[in-house]
Amino acid sequence: MAILEIENLSAFYGKAQALDGVSFSVEEGEIVGVIGANGAGKSTLLDSIMGMTQTTGAIRLAGADLAGKTTAEIVKMGVGYAPERANLFPYMSVRDNLLVGAYTARDDIERNLEMVHDLFPRLKERSTQETGTQSGGERQMVSVGRALMTSPKLLMVDEPTIGLAPKVCLEIAEVLRRLNKDYGATIIITEQNVNFALTLAERLLVMETGRIRMSGTVEELRENPALTEAYFGH
Amino acid sequence: MLQIIIQGLLLSGLYALIAVGFTLIFSVGRVLNLAYGAYLMLGGYAFFYVSQTLGMPKLLGVVAAVAVGVIAGLMKHRFIVKPLKGDMVPVEIATLILAVVLQSAVVLMFGDSSKILHSIIPGVVQVGTVSVPYSNVFAMIVSWTVLIALYLFIRKTHLGRAMQAVSMDQKGAAISGVNPDHVNMMVWGISGGLGALGGVFFASYTQLYPAMWVAPLIIAVAVVIVGGIGSIIGTLIVAHIIGFMEVMTTSLIAPELRGVFTMALIIIVLVVSPKGLFGREEIH
Repeated sequence: MAILEIENLSAFYGKAQALDGVSFSVEEGEIVGVIGANGAGKSTLLDSIMGMTQTTGAIRLAGADLAGKTTAEIVKMGVGYAPERANLFPYMSVRDNLLVGAYTARDDIERNLEMVHDLFPRLKERSTQETGTQSGGERQMVSVGRALMTSPKLLMVDEPTIGLAPKVCLEIAEVLRRLNKDYGATIIITEQNVNFALTLAERLLVMETGRIRMSGTVEELRENPALTEAYFGH
Repeated sequence: MLQIIIQGLLLSGLYALIAVGFTLIFSVGRVLNLAYGAYLMLGGYAFFYVSQTLGMPKLLGVVAAVAVGVIAGLMKHRFIVKPLKGDMVPVEIATLILAVVLQSAVVLMFGDSSKILHSIIPGVVQVGTVSVPYSNVFAMIVSWTVLIALYLFIRKTHLGRAMQAVSMDQKGAAISGVNPDHVNMMVWGISGGLGALGGVFFASYTQLYPAMWVAPLIIAVAVVIVGGIGSIIGTLIVAHIIGFMEVMTTSLIAPELRGVFTMALIIIVLVVSPKGLFGREEIH
């Protein structure tokens, strides 16, 4: 069953159009990678699903229309979001950051906290540290952890590897893979780092200037000369 | 000496209560609410009307004052802050004008002359050579209770954490399922209630008069600037510095200089340490 269906989605920041007629769907239990250069519209796509831009077209989560819903309502309906800049609460502890994530999912706190600590044992060790004093990798972990605390049906992770050391990228990739395999999470991940997306995702969407240029399984796109040229530098 | 300590403690507790409502709005809503003093005026007059004009029980007067403050805060959020989208300068101009308008309304309804509030609890307690009115002790106990409750509320509850979250990162709060608009509205209500409660006590300390919103506004600004906006502990400490400074000035130098040192302190701290002594803008 499709968890997320998007039809002819266009998004605007004031008068500037940032997305133009985007359509795709995400099936339950899959990892979809959205790749594209800076400014291609990846973050706008995720912001639009969260109701943070002006949009036309349809967005449905498990069949329910998201049009006109506030961001908070969309979170409650089941979309978890770890944005590119993390947007953590710098003077609050790791634990309190995670607990804010549980604002609409208070009955699931224990179970979700256990899952987050299982995936990121370091967050358990650092639970009293203020996130403003943490490293970039740890902040990324808190950000994904906070999104998981909302009990999402769909997890969206925006450029988790940006600015991180390769070793930390591998750690994050491993966690997202476990999240998918062990916990059955459905994940959309955006990346400029195509190799990172290729190792994780089963299906890719390639974005360019606010449109989906092509899409398909990783194998299909590997064969595609246009993509190979643009992203793998042959 | 004993007199200074007792009076200092009593006054400082009240100042902390007055300042904390002001600091909440700045941290969460990011606007200086220059009409904050008007909550104190409204609270004082609501108490006067219910308990002295209508002759109802004093406790009911306090409850009515807080209710009026909460409603005033909610209305200010709905009709000024929200339409202006929290844009700082227009909100500040609009709130300052509102305070003046409310002052005129109070003059129209209650007249220009100042009024003496009856003690909430009559009588005095003798501490050594100093006689302390029960009302002032009551004011301090209530102030401390409210401050501690507020601190625990902000630190330990989902709503309180949501308030901190909105003060630190609006987008982060929204994607955690917190509606920043709702939190803002709630904070305006709480702030109004705190201000009105402070107003009942403040008017009992001094007098009830239509221009009584100015002095507490200056105190609130001073506590917040010196303490660093957003810090409840900082607010508490600085309220005591200012409270004791005023009591010492009044009893040792001259009563006329009471507010002068407070204002001098504002300027000195602004020049030396613009973020305040405990400063950061988020609540914690």
